[in-house]
Amino acid sequence: MAATKKISLSEEELVSKLKSQDTLAIQALYDMYSGALLGVISRVIQHTEVAEDLLQETFIKIWNSAGSYDNSKGRLFTWMMNIARNLSIDKLRSKDFKNSNKNQDIENNVDFIDAQKEVTFNADLLGIKELVTSLKPEFKTVLDMVYFKGYTHVEAAEELNLPLGTVKTRIRMGIMELRKNFN
Amino acid sequence: MEEGKAYIESGILELYVLGQLSAQEQLEVQAMASTYPEVKQEMEAIEIAMEKYAVQNAVKPSVGLENKIFERIGIAIPQQEAKVIPLNAEQRTDYPAKIRSLRLALVACIALLIVSVAALYSAHSDLGSARDQIASLSADREKFSSTVNYMKATNADLNKIVAIADDPSWKTIKLAGQKNPGDNMVVYWHPKDKHVMVNTNKMVLPANDKAHQYQLWALVNGKPVDLGVFDVNADSSQILVNMKEIGIAQAFAVTLEQRGGSPTPTMEQMMVMGGV
Repeated sequence: MAATKKISLSEEELVSKLKSQDTLAIQALYDMYSGALLGVISRVIQHTEVAEDLLQETFIKIWNSAGSYDNSKGRLFTWMMNIARNLSIDKLRSKDFKNSNKNQDIENNVDFIDAQKEVTFNADLLGIKELVTSLKPEFKTVLDMVYFKGYTHVEAAEELNLPLGTVKTRIRMGIMELRKNFN
Repeated sequence: MEEGKAYIESGILELYVLGQLSAQEQLEVQAMASTYPEVKQEMEAIEIAMEKYAVQNAVKPSVGLENKIFERIGIAIPQQEAKVIPLNAEQRTDYPAKIRSLRLALVACIALLIVSVAALYSAHSDLGSARDQIASLSADREKFSSTVNYMKATNADLNKIVAIADDPSWKTIKLAGQKNPGDNMVVYWHPKDKHVMVNTNKMVLPANDKAHQYQLWALVNGKPVDLGVFDVNADSSQILVNMKEIGIAQAFAVTLEQRGGSPTPTMEQMMVMGGV
């Protein structure tokens, strides 16, 4: 499996192939972004099977609504990320999921989620921990809640008992720190 | 320019990228991005950073998930995936083909067996008829060779009879019927060499049964002398039959006696007689 050749295409190629419903695009997108998208989904929905089902739905939706993607509004990944996150939040708030996962009501248990995440995720990805620890904890908490866990910045402010302006600032500072790290 | 910079520093672009804005706010940001290249550039930088952050926080999906998704989209399992589960995939697709070819082989074997049995049966019956032919041929050959032998023997006897007729030292004595007027036979006699022969070919006598035989007698000075017995039957292969020797005789006679002959002739059974 390690020898499997991954498909990688440029942003422009991906978009044009996806829009012309070239199946190579979806294979490339899977190779390039399935892990990243599942990372987002898994932080909203911990249950592995349900999360993977949602990843399936995400790719089906990416494929089926490729025509509605507009690159003037943002990059392809941002669009896909929003699809994945919206599907996950919809699932989290759906009645059947709440009924079957009462013990994992993560909206009211941030510490539990954080603890879980540390153990569960990225065990095989070197460099992540460095990056994660290099983000100041106050930035990381806010950014992860909004980016990965599907909180709105308003919900995050309420949850953390912080003024909305502070939350916005911390989001911006966190992202700037990330940009500095990646450069 | 200044407006663009202020807009960037407001932090709204981050919220836009994170999907935190309302539809109205989003349209505003998009308008700003299309107006100010630096806004567009900043937005992309934020997006790329978040993309990298997401990639570095990736969670690996299960192995089979890719194919499930591709199946639903309607992609035939791609080549690279065939490598991921090569053995299973091959075996799964190969079994029906293998079974098909094995079935074909079995049918071929059965067909071959049937043909072989048929060929064997035909060869066997051919062999049987060949054997019959050989048997009948060898029977024919035996019959033929016995015929040849018979003809050789008869020819030799006939030659001898011709020689006897031409040789004055041979006497031919004709014996005439005593009981039945039609009976007769011929005796060849060589007085000097004492040879006596009867010609079965020129013999008109009723066939004797198994209990009786004809006996030839020579009358020497009024006394009968035994010259041996002979049979009269249809399939006699010998024309000339040698009898016992005698140098002097006035007449020859034949009586019907019990098988093996009698010491003295039974006069009532005198069949033929002829003087020298």
